[in-house]
Amino acid sequence: MKLPTDWKSLASLLAAIVVLAIIFAYLNPRFGSLENFRNILFQMAVPLIIIVGTTFVIQLGSIDLSVQGIMGGAGMAWILMSANTRLETDYGVWAWVVAIGIGIALGCLAGALHAIIKVPSFVVTLGTWYIGLGIGIILYGDDVLPSLKSDALMAWPTKLTLGLPHAFWLAAIVFAVGSFISRNTHFGRSILAIGNSETIAGNMGIPVNTIKIIAFTIAGALSALAGILATMQIGAGSPDLGSGQLFTVIPAAVIGGTALSGGEGGLMRSAVGVLLLIILNNGLVLSGVDPAWQSGVFGAILIAAIVAVARPDRGILKIAK
Amino acid sequence: MTMTVPTVLRLKDISRTFGHVSAVRSISLEIKRGEVIGLVGENGAGKSTLLKILSGVEQPDAGTMEINGKLESFRSPNDAVRAGVGVVHQEQSLFTNLTVAENLDTRNAGRIGWKNWKRVNSECVAALKKIGVDLDPTSRVSDLSFVNRQMVEIARAVSIDPNMTGTPLIILDEPTAVLEQTETAVLEREIKKLKDIASVIFVSHRLDEIMRICDRVVVMRSGKIVSDRKTSEVTKEQLFRDMAGGVSQTAHAVRKRLPEGAKPAIEVHELGRKGKFKNITFTARPGEIIALVGSNASGREAVVRTIFGAETYDSGTIGVKSRRVVHWSIRKAVQAGLAYLPAERKVESMIAGLSATRNIALVYQGEADSGPFLKLSSLAKTAQSWFDRLDVRPNTISRPLINFSGGNQQKIVLAKWLNSPYTDVLLLDHPLRGLDVGAAQTVNAEIVKACEAGAAVILIPDTIEEALEMADEIIVMRDGEISARHDMRTKNSLNVQDIVAEMV
Amino acid sequence: MTEVIKKSGENESTAGISAAEAVAVKFGKSIPWSAFAPPLVFIAMLLSVGLLNSNYLGPLGISIATATAAPIMFLALGQAMVLNIGSIDLSNAAIALLGALMLALAIPPLGLGAFVLILILVTLVGAINGAVISYAQVPSFALTLGTLAILQTAALVVSGADTIYVSENRELVSTLFEKQIFNAPLTFWIGIVAAFTLWAVLRYTILGQNMTVMGKNELGATLSAVPTRRVRIITYALSGFMGGLAGLSIVAQAGSASASGLGSDLLLPGIAAALIGGTSISGGQTNPLNVVFGGLTVGFVPIAIQAMGLGAQAQSLVYGIFIIVVVALTTVRSRDAVIK
Repeated sequence: MKLPTDWKSLASLLAAIVVLAIIFAYLNPRFGSLENFRNILFQMAVPLIIIVGTTFVIQLGSIDLSVQGIMGGAGMAWILMSANTRLETDYGVWAWVVAIGIGIALGCLAGALHAIIKVPSFVVTLGTWYIGLGIGIILYGDDVLPSLKSDALMAWPTKLTLGLPHAFWLAAIVFAVGSFISRNTHFGRSILAIGNSETIAGNMGIPVNTIKIIAFTIAGALSALAGILATMQIGAGSPDLGSGQLFTVIPAAVIGGTALSGGEGGLMRSAVGVLLLIILNNGLVLSGVDPAWQSGVFGAILIAAIVAVARPDRGILKIAK
Repeated sequence: MTMTVPTVLRLKDISRTFGHVSAVRSISLEIKRGEVIGLVGENGAGKSTLLKILSGVEQPDAGTMEINGKLESFRSPNDAVRAGVGVVHQEQSLFTNLTVAENLDTRNAGRIGWKNWKRVNSECVAALKKIGVDLDPTSRVSDLSFVNRQMVEIARAVSIDPNMTGTPLIILDEPTAVLEQTETAVLEREIKKLKDIASVIFVSHRLDEIMRICDRVVVMRSGKIVSDRKTSEVTKEQLFRDMAGGVSQTAHAVRKRLPEGAKPAIEVHELGRKGKFKNITFTARPGEIIALVGSNASGREAVVRTIFGAETYDSGTIGVKSRRVVHWSIRKAVQAGLAYLPAERKVESMIAGLSATRNIALVYQGEADSGPFLKLSSLAKTAQSWFDRLDVRPNTISRPLINFSGGNQQKIVLAKWLNSPYTDVLLLDHPLRGLDVGAAQTVNAEIVKACEAGAAVILIPDTIEEALEMADEIIVMRDGEISARHDMRTKNSLNVQDIVAEMV
Repeated sequence: MTEVIKKSGENESTAGISAAEAVAVKFGKSIPWSAFAPPLVFIAMLLSVGLLNSNYLGPLGISIATATAAPIMFLALGQAMVLNIGSIDLSNAAIALLGALMLALAIPPLGLGAFVLILILVTLVGAINGAVISYAQVPSFALTLGTLAILQTAALVVSGADTIYVSENRELVSTLFEKQIFNAPLTFWIGIVAAFTLWAVLRYTILGQNMTVMGKNELGATLSAVPTRRVRIITYALSGFMGGLAGLSIVAQAGSASASGLGSDLLLPGIAAALIGGTSISGGQTNPLNVVFGGLTVGFVPIAIQAMGLGAQAQSLVYGIFIIVVVALTTVRSRDAVIK
């Protein structure tokens, strides 16, 4: 499917990335090194996994705030069930099942409450954010920080296959499957239809509620997976290891052109948005810019992007909330 | 002809009442396969209610509906679609962010699994071919021209079920209203092609089109079918007469006149906005009622909203009280004494969850000496006096506006504007829409009263009779331009038929 | 004839109305008990704590709960005002933190003048938020997310990532916390005064009426000549001002401010308190007095959890469940309305 309007904005985003890369490479030659390239891909992995789910939800016209909470809860459950410094128990694959199960359960809960009981998604996912975080905190208890015992697991994200880190490969697979679902299933296309007009979608017989619940469930599951990966990357568990992720993925999606009102945007564009923000982050660090300035630059770019997007359709009676 | 053509639609004594108002009354209609029926009637004749019943949005109170020989009672638009009734609305119901093929893929709407693009696309090509249109199935609907989008809607309506044995019934609701001339020609050609595969109900306000395209033309008035004739055997004049009814002249309401020669309150000079209206010139003086008549697509609503500062214009000038306006806005308009009663009351003028008192206090909160504060007791007193004056029922000023009937809501909205002592220009868009007789009389009386007190009124009436009854000058608009003007103070032989002829 | 015309007017009207009905119904019926839900939730919590372990309701418990609640309450009040006009302010906690840092820097040289200066500054920051949303017509969620990020940088730059102690004139600000009335710090009582003021603004002023009108139906408000831009700017300015007061209460409590210390994580508690206080996320409905109970509930949860013997770890979990349950119970909904 070729959508010319999509490609035009995607191209301008990519151009922005190229310009940034050139500037950063000029400021610090290390930016362009293979090692740094791998580093960028490594940093990108977690937000890339999350944004697949986030994009689905935003395309519906809803929002999922629960990302960081679910990451915390699932990450903590996973590490405590894997070989770690605190507990002797190692449940192997069951750790994965339980951790991702937490994400699925919270996502499904949020989706169901939103779709059926009609609680605004902002509120429900704020609730599941706290619940996920609460699970993480309770599991954490007041004991010592659990660290991974298995060197194999700790090394896994940085290990290279075909020259690229495993963390990135995992994200790439998730992204590829997500893109496939988005383009080639009725589910993926129905999300866009609902985002465009929930009323028409309902009249046409699209199962609106089911699709919403599935979308939130996928988002929950992917946040949990991101929590596991982040735990592996750090090598230790923490309830707030997701800290800051929400404020990476939502701006990334918005910068990529996914309108918060729904129906627009796509995974490819969100991914490019993530790439832009990660390169920005990485480049600023390498250029010796005080890390304090990073979030400010993020914010300025986000504001510039939304103002530019809103410009063409301003009007006397347009309502922007 | 000896061969019997199968009947696609058979309506028998269909009626629908809203409250105690009957919108359609015992409609009986038959449409044979391959027929194109023109449906005409003034605003308010019951056309849209009939279409809603056919498309499953409304359910009839009485009567039966047969489609392709099967007795049907639709509970939702979905039921109608399944039975083979496809409606092409003026406001389109396509997913603009998806491709043409996806919009035609109604059969898979309930699914969530793997999407076979190849099949979806090839079915789309087939569906488009069926109606003789050549469009790229993978192009995004928002990139299509308006007429092409309409073709997609028609294709969707036709393709509802490829295995359906019966004939689809396609309803086109004013499809040409927003089209340019050349696009209209394309659409006309396509509709003629549809004859081979479908039956069509074509609703339009343009009689020329109806005469060219349709086999039969059905005229509705006051919720009834008043004539049903072959287009080959009818003249436009006869149709005008059917639409307007037998009445040739409505009594003009007697009103106290203000002395001639007052300074104009509103002067519009060659006002235009690309694609909406152009060359609009008229003047409204204190004590005058100017009625803008025309079809829904005539652009008259846009003109009024532009005068109120709610929409923009790109040529011409607006003068308010002898001053040409610059950087016009709603705020400035209201400060200059303009008031606007929108047609979409619930979304545009009511604050539904707020009490009647506060709705009345929205524009003018009483004398300025209280500063930024609301004097709740004096607001209540004001509200109570409006309730008494306009006979609002129930007489509870603290009740949320949503809990009043339509007529009483409109009275309260009108009170909101009249409550301001500065209001002296009333822009009224369908002020009587949805009102029962009593409320309509109250509202009309207030309009006349304001007028006698020196207000200038620009009125978009529901019906031509309303214009004839109220207006000093009637301005007829067609396709964004003024097609005729009638000074009712000097004329004494104008009738509804004449105006209908100028509108369509 | 006239009768027929009027009657036939009715059927066309239903055409226009049906589309709008969803909106109307959404704002129409209100569940009466929802108006009392926030105090009821709080009282229920108090009662259960009292039954389980009445010691927690002693002076110390009240003092801790009200101290925790004070900054949250300020932020929740500001947020409630913004939610009431149908928007959101994600930057208010960052404004509070920046305000706290600037206060800590400015109090030693300027004394009381610092209060005025900083409150004016944060109010301006809020007003800028409102102006950009109004004039660029961008969604408030995205815009204030951007301002949040910029303010975080500002906070780090202002503080140099250090903790800033109020080295001189400390008593000016610490009095606000140490002086207690009925075991609650003065900052808490300032919050109560603010809540009453905002309640009165909403109920008794033209501005307040315009705010609520805007939240209920912005299009209708615009077409009734409500100065929606001005109202939005004022509302955001108010949110900035309340953020400043939250910053003040943080400095008063800690005697210092830092970009990662006390008060660095108040955005969500603030929103949660506004929602538990009965504010509708879709606009047009708030009662600042109930928001006080929302703030108190959020501030009291840690104590309640201890009383139930659950351990402090259960706090987040309880917040999450509270938000969902309270909002699910108090949301006014209709079958046709599209809820995002």
